[in-house]
This record gives sequence, structure tokens and C-alpha cells, in this order.
Amino acid sequence: MISPRIFEVINIGLVILDPDLTVRHWNRWMELHSGIPEAGIVGKSLFDHYPGLNTTRFTKNCKSVLTFGNFCFFSQKLHRWLFPFKPVTSFSGMFDRMQQSCTMGPLRDDGNAIRQLFISVQDVTEVAAYERRLVELNTRDPLTGSFNRRFLDSRLPDECERHKRYGRPLSLLMWDIDHFKRVNDTHGHQCGDEVLKSVAAVVGSELRLTDMLIRYGGEEFCCLLPETRMDTAISVAERIRACVEAHSVKCGDEAIRITISVGVGELDSDSPYQEALIALADKALYEAKTSGRNRVVAQPHA
Amino acid sequence: MSRQPEPIFTANERDILQEVMNIGFGKASADLAEVIDIYVVLSVPEVALLDASELAGYIGGEIRDFERISVVEQSFMGRFQGVALLIFPSEAGRKLISILGQEDEQTALHSVALLERETLMEVGNILIGACVGKLAELLDDQIAYSPPRVLVEDDPRETVTRDMFNPDSTAIVMRTLFSFENENISGYLFLITRNESIAWMVSALHSFMERYE
Amino acid sequence: MGRTLLIVDDSPIARKILIRCLPPDETFRILEAGNGEIALKVYQAERPDITFMDLTMPVVDGFQSIVDIRRFDPEAVIIVATADIQTKTLFRVLDAGALMVLKKPMSREAVKDALEKAEEALKDSERRR
Repeated sequence: MISPRIFEVINIGLVILDPDLTVRHWNRWMELHSGIPEAGIVGKSLFDHYPGLNTTRFTKNCKSVLTFGNFCFFSQKLHRWLFPFKPVTSFSGMFDRMQQSCTMGPLRDDGNAIRQLFISVQDVTEVAAYERRLVELNTRDPLTGSFNRRFLDSRLPDECERHKRYGRPLSLLMWDIDHFKRVNDTHGHQCGDEVLKSVAAVVGSELRLTDMLIRYGGEEFCCLLPETRMDTAISVAERIRACVEAHSVKCGDEAIRITISVGVGELDSDSPYQEALIALADKALYEAKTSGRNRVVAQPHA
Repeated sequence: MSRQPEPIFTANERDILQEVMNIGFGKASADLAEVIDIYVVLSVPEVALLDASELAGYIGGEIRDFERISVVEQSFMGRFQGVALLIFPSEAGRKLISILGQEDEQTALHSVALLERETLMEVGNILIGACVGKLAELLDDQIAYSPPRVLVEDDPRETVTRDMFNPDSTAIVMRTLFSFENENISGYLFLITRNESIAWMVSALHSFMERYE
Repeated sequence: MGRTLLIVDDSPIARKILIRCLPPDETFRILEAGNGEIALKVYQAERPDITFMDLTMPVVDGFQSIVDIRRFDPEAVIIVATADIQTKTLFRVLDAGALMVLKKPMSREAVKDALEKAEEALKDSERRR
């Protein structure tokens, strides 16, 4: 019979499972991407090879399909991938795993009773990459590569929500380049741009993996520090201040020295709103500016 | 000028439909609890036969106690065809996150807004699948489902507008109030059946009774 | 056997289905009620042998009706007919005094089985008198 061959040539992964999640069919696409031949997985529990799938969420979805005969959709947005496969397209730089959109559904017998379930796996890495690129265009500052104001406006409420819901600490640094106008006037705007790029790069390299650098305005930046309390925020602030001070920006033949003033604020549980946090950091920045510049000021409470 | 819809069901057929709905939603609730560990109480369903132009008004009236709502929509296609609308009060996404299990390492990376939206869709998918699935089973039908989508999120109730529905059809609307007691969240499920299904439904209801001849 | 049955359900179709599932070779006297309030009145007037009770009804629901009837007649044989057969529902109706639960949608075999169990219960209480 010719038609069953379609399951082997189709560009989609197909897995068939018994109700106890024993693998009964593992098509060629799955073999190629998993490196596991069908003979090596049929008859075993899916969790033997993929223990990461053994979550309450996944098993509830399986039970739903077996009980109600509905479909369950594992979108790339939330799950990213069900099966940890390497990406195959040229976007492997952006993602370390193939991005997948998976659907689970029932398989019935001649009496229409639900006997097994299937999972179909689609490689959506390319689409996900495209989406991510669009998001980046939308949320990145083209000059410095840092995040932009739009990003902060959407991300900050989310982080505040995380604080409200789970009690996670959150801090914000607001800083700007001292006497930036003077730099532009003395050395020209191209130099000014170079300074912005260079300082952003220096600061960015001093931040931790989960911190976010955002260009807030012309020469004003902020650093959003999740999971961070005031004392740590202050030491991060001091570190970036010191690094910028020690750094010199090459501009044509000149080497320009730059300093920054930094204001530090921590999200207050009594007032866990983005406006309050920004106001705290901003007030601290103002104090840093008016008390001499090239310094860190922390504003513990409003 | 609204036309008078022709009587779709006789009184007897309507009684059969009511009993089929009672059984279907009762079984859905029981299976959700016993098999999936999701504890949701489904009220005895009501059925209304409406012109599509009256749908927005009907639904708006039913949900009048909600100020802000989120809506999950999903199409289902068997011989029983239509659209399911789950209408939640706006805090629902946050409260329902624990229903599908603790955050795993993947979900912890996401923004809270995304997690809430996806939770509404996943829980909604299971709830709709349970109700539609059990009804279809009783009427000897099999259903395919489109992926659910969040139609509105935390919007004022007035967003349930006429634009949602094809104006030329007659709709059978099944309504139940669902209540996740542990999470203290209640909302409405509306199953809106398309015109095309009605003839089949009438015969399916008779087939259901014929088993007891 | 000639037993008297009381069928309590707000759905006329549900009552009709149950009646059609009764074993054809036996004769029964059949009484019907659409809610728990009427059910109690009928029970008090007619003293049926076996009562079939739906749970979700208006006015007085099945749970309350079981309690009311058992209070009136502690030997009342009540079979709950419901689609919602969660464990906690089962415990609740058994605690209230129901004999057993009959699943909806019904089958003739299940109804026959329920009647047999009801017969045993009736014979037990008759023996005790």
C-alpha cells in the first residue's frame, strides 16, 4: 500500500502513543531530528528518552485528549519546544533549540473509541526568528544596540507584576552622561554618537546576564535589574560608574574622558508601580547631578 | 426588521436537547475532576434559540455583572459545528495559572502577561473540549478543533459586539456558568451552533432517543 | 413483582428514558415527580418501594430530597441517577442515605442491576420487620 508512506516523507514529526504514553510509532522525521531510530524507542515510555516532558501540564493535556477527544496545542510562544532538537536552519545562532509548534490529538478505532494519541511536531524556527527580529527592531535602539524606551514601557509593568505576585525584588538605575552637550559642541555630533555607543558598550559589559540596558532618552539610560535589592544595585551602579570613568572614547585622533551620574531606586512594596520606581531613581539621579556629578546616589524611599 | 425564526425544534426535541446537555455537561464536570484533577462546577445548561443579530445582546445581558472580561474563542467542527466562547472576569488568567501545575523551567522564563494569556487558552481549550466532546459523544459525532485564541483580554464588557457573529444565521446558544471553586473564579461558556448543524442536530436527537425504544 | 417506583427528575425526557429501560417482563406501578418538594409529598402519600432520584433539580434538589425522604422513612430505598459521578458526589449521596448511584446515560443492563440491588435491600428490611 502506498499511502502510509506519507508518514515517512512528510516534513512533520509524528509520534503515536498508547494511553500509558508508550511510544508506538516514531516517524522518519522524528528519527532524523532525534537521532533515535524507531526501533530504539517503540515499546518504551516517552519519558524514558524525554524525562523533561514528564510535567503536570503535559500529562493533563494528554489525559484531556484521551478523555474528551479534543486537541491540545503546544504553541511555540509558551513552550518553545517539546522535543529538544538542534535547529537545522541558518538561524541556529538565534536559538539553541529547534522552535516547535506541536499538536496532540486522539486516534480512534472502528468503533470510534479513543485508543491512542498522536503528537505532530512542526519546525517553526524560521517563523520564530522572524518574529524575534521584528520584536528586536521594535525594542532596540539602533545606535547603541541597547533596548529602547518602548521596551521599558512594556517590560517594567511586567516586572512590577512579578514583584506583586511573587515578591521578587526589583531595582532600577538611571544614569546619564555628564556634560554631554559640551562633548557635542566641542567635538561634533558624530563624536557624540561614538561616545554614546562606547559608553553603552562599556556599561553593557559590566551588567549581569539578566540585567537590561535601556536607552531612555538622548543621553539618558537606565539599567533594569530584576531579582536585585538596593545593596547589590548600589554596587552594580558603582561598578559601572568606575568603569566609565576609567574608559576613554576614541574619536578621530582624540581620546575623550567621560563620566556618568547614577541614581539608584528599589521597588517599594508599599508602592509597587513603575511610575514610583522611575520617580525614585530619577530623584536620585538629580541629586547625583546637583551634588557634583560622577557619583552614585541611592534613594531608598520617596 | 427581524424575521420570526421558524420553530427549529418541537417541544419534545427541545426536551431531548436539554437532557442531552444535562448529561453531557455532568459527565464533562465529572471527568475533569476524576481524570484531570481540574475541579470545576458546571451549572445546569440553558439553551436559547436566537437570531444571530440578537446574540450580542443576549450574551451581554448574561455577563452584565462582569466589569472587565477576557474572552477565549475556539471553533469546533464536526457535524456539530460552531464556536465556543469562554468569558472570564479579567483576573482569571492570574488565578488559573496553578491549575495546570507548577511553573516548569520553561514557563518561568516568560513574561507574566504571556503566561496568563497562554494559561487562559490552555485551560479554556480543555474546558471547551470537555463540554463539546461529551455532547458530541452522546450524539455520536467526532469533533475537530481549531487552536483557541484570546479574543479580548482585560477589556470592558462592552467589547462583545455584533461584529463577532455572522448576521444571517440562527443560533442555538447553550449557556453554562462554570466555577473553579478552589481558585474562586467563575465565568460563562457559550456554545453557539451554526445554522448548518441544525438539521443534523434534530436527527441526532431522535437517534439518541431511539436507543431507548 | 408489582413494585411501585417513584421517578424524580425535572427532565421529562430523563423520566421517559428510565421508564423505557425498565425490564419489559416485569410490571411496575410508576409515579413521577419533577422536583424534590413534589417528590416528598408523593412519597408520603403513596409509599413507593423504590425511588429513582436525579440530583440537579429546581425548588428542592436531589441531595435535599434524599435527606427529606429518609427522614420520613429511614428504610426508603433510593437510587441516585446522575451523569456527574465524581467520587465526592458518590460519598455525599451515600452519606445522605442513598443505596447506590446509577450512571446517565442509562442502559437497560445497568437499570436491571440497580433494581436487583434494590430488591435485596427491600427484602432485607422486610425480613427485619
